[in-house]
Amino acid sequence: MRIFDPHIHMTSRTTDDYERMHAAGVRALVEPAFWLGQPRTNVGSFTDYFDGLIGWERFRAAQFGIRHHCTIALNPKEANDSRCAEVLDVLPRYLAKDGVVAVGEIGYDSMTPAEDDAFAAQLALAVEHELPALVHTPHRDKITGTRRSLDLVRSSGIDPGRVIIDHLNEVTVELVLESGCWMAFSIYPDTKMDPDRMVKILQRYGLDRMLVNSAADWGRSDPLRTLRTGETMLAAGFTADDVDAVLWRNPVAFYGQSGRLVLDGLPGFGGSSAADTFAGNSVLRGARV
Amino acid sequence: MTGLRFGYGSNGFANHRLGDALAVIADLGYSGVALTLDHAHLDPFADDLPRQLDAVRTELAARNLAVVVETGARYLLDPRRKHHPTLVSDDGRDRRVDLLRRAVRIAAELGAECVSFWSGILPPGADADTGWRRLAQGVGEVLDEAQRHGVPLGLEPEPGMFVERLDDAFELRKRLGDPELLGITLDVGHCVAVEPSSAAECVRLAGELLVNVQLDDMRPNVHEHLEFGEGNLDLPATLGALVEVGYRGLAAVELPRHSHAAPEVAARAATALRAAEWLAGATRRIRTTPDAVRTLFPAAGRHCGRGPLHPAGDPNGLVHGTVDDAARVAMLAALRDASTSPEVTAEVGDLYRYGDDAEKRGVLRGLPAVDGALPVDAGLELVRDALRSNDTRLVAAALGPYAAAHLDQHGWRHGVLKCLFVGVPLAAVAGLDRRADAELHRMVADFAAERLAAGRVVPPDGLALLALLAREWQGASERPLPLTTPVPAGHHDTEGTS
Repeated sequence: MRIFDPHIHMTSRTTDDYERMHAAGVRALVEPAFWLGQPRTNVGSFTDYFDGLIGWERFRAAQFGIRHHCTIALNPKEANDSRCAEVLDVLPRYLAKDGVVAVGEIGYDSMTPAEDDAFAAQLALAVEHELPALVHTPHRDKITGTRRSLDLVRSSGIDPGRVIIDHLNEVTVELVLESGCWMAFSIYPDTKMDPDRMVKILQRYGLDRMLVNSAADWGRSDPLRTLRTGETMLAAGFTADDVDAVLWRNPVAFYGQSGRLVLDGLPGFGGSSAADTFAGNSVLRGARV
Repeated sequence: MTGLRFGYGSNGFANHRLGDALAVIADLGYSGVALTLDHAHLDPFADDLPRQLDAVRTELAARNLAVVVETGARYLLDPRRKHHPTLVSDDGRDRRVDLLRRAVRIAAELGAECVSFWSGILPPGADADTGWRRLAQGVGEVLDEAQRHGVPLGLEPEPGMFVERLDDAFELRKRLGDPELLGITLDVGHCVAVEPSSAAECVRLAGELLVNVQLDDMRPNVHEHLEFGEGNLDLPATLGALVEVGYRGLAAVELPRHSHAAPEVAARAATALRAAEWLAGATRRIRTTPDAVRTLFPAAGRHCGRGPLHPAGDPNGLVHGTVDDAARVAMLAALRDASTSPEVTAEVGDLYRYGDDAEKRGVLRGLPAVDGALPVDAGLELVRDALRSNDTRLVAAALGPYAAAHLDQHGWRHGVLKCLFVGVPLAAVAGLDRRADAELHRMVADFAAERLAAGRVVPPDGLALLALLAREWQGASERPLPLTTPVPAGHHDTEGTS
């Protein structure tokens, strides 16, 4: 089973996770920029984080045979902190980078005017930079938040085929199904979806525009929920090709719209000849002879 | 992006049927073909020429290819003497005139944009006056035919021929009273080989007279058509000049000695042209809107490629850099031209600060291009930042000519030692011979001794440097080195993970 996790926060994960993910078949992923547990208090804190997403984390993932991409944005929760608002000014530089495959996570947390502004401004940036957009739907008041997100997407002029509405569930999926946007589901313990419920959604709504992610982060979460969902699909009678569509071809098709996906094999992992470094970085995994 | 139209010369497909060649050329995305009339490609003396013309015209239209007619076939008129007879030969000049007039008629039939021709080599014994007289007469006769059909002519300066340089072509035009239909064909590789100024400058000199352009690489003083990147041509600058002078004709790749591998060569050329065209457009935009560098600089790898500039001797691009490095250096040069010194300082700092590893490398390699506009302190700050990193390519780029010129001796020595430590070939260190001193000798000797004490190997580069330094700084190190351990290649330390 080859797996592309279209939403996972590897910055918060250990090297053990990378090893287990590679063993499970994960060969590519997208790490969206989001909030850390600890609130940020200035723009510099964001830029160092963004630098990590386009640099260090990509390097770290490569040591485990996994192609790392990211999305860049001011997240909805921190859009409410005026000390962070200026991060919008540096976003254009980051949206031009290699490996940045969408603007995200954008969307709503508490549905405040500040969130409206940041969301709309960043949808406009997605259009301007010809990038897809990744929209987070809120934990609280989810249906309203999803509706408002879809309204804003419609009025922004972005092609709905270039938008993911994420963290969906049984009560929000149909709203998005009609919109033309892609539907993403986070298989995340306790608070979001689980593999059995996910399979029921796939049985009911089909595989088109469907994305499954682990959304694993600094909370109690599991980077192998993508694999578990694939296994549950097979157990429920889906074919291996169906699993491949959901766990690989769909995310590749969606993020491929950025023109910036790189999915070649990595040095030392069968795709190309073994090399001493990744992108020149001399800090390598494990002891060297 | 630039409005340029690229073509490919059929003489680079001499082993293909013309129809097959057109198919391959069109499929690779070329907009046109420079069609050399030859015995196997639309022979102007063939009995069934009208039928062949019909077929070629249909083929061109079906594939939406523009066409210019070239007349440089080697043995079309004389099976024994290459290119003979010419417009300046002692005998047979009328046969050349006849061929060129046929070419004009064929061009008219095909709707070609022009007919291109050269002068020929002046025979021994004929003086320049004779040459000019013969040439003026022959070209005059061809011009009459061109007038009748409204087909422009392009005189191509050709190394070793009577009209060898642009100035010679200008001279002929003057002698003929600047006829409107007599334009110029410029082979940009020839400019590298024989012109006193760059190909870009030649494009500007020819300006509105350009009716046809041939693209290929070349080395100075060597008339050998090379693939892009194999010679000294600055392709992006040349394409930029074509855009600048408003050239609207076809610019066709001219690689007449690569027919044996035509499809692969033509594909590589198309890739190189796309990359160079993007870069030409990017630098042009930066010159008018310097802020554009903020989004163009990061995009260089996606559009120009990321491979090493000289793969044969430098597979990782550590010594000479990469294709995207070179593109970014060109962008920094454009930024310098379009901005004040404080603007350059602020922007270069931000490009580095917000750059990923490749962009940082591009800034480092571009420091010489902004030297003068960027205060040395600001440039050295970036060099020192890079030397603190774990990225071998940043360390290598940091120790280029800029560091050789400006970095303090202590920092520079530590940079060299770091290269040995992380496995950067010392060939990447600019000015090594000039700046190496007794202290560096001591440091490298201590490094080697420490490695040997630990039972580890000394990198071959370190041994080579020691040998070099030992000659110069004999006795600087008191400790004799037991350099007897065999040294496998490719081993180096890491800098630790935390």
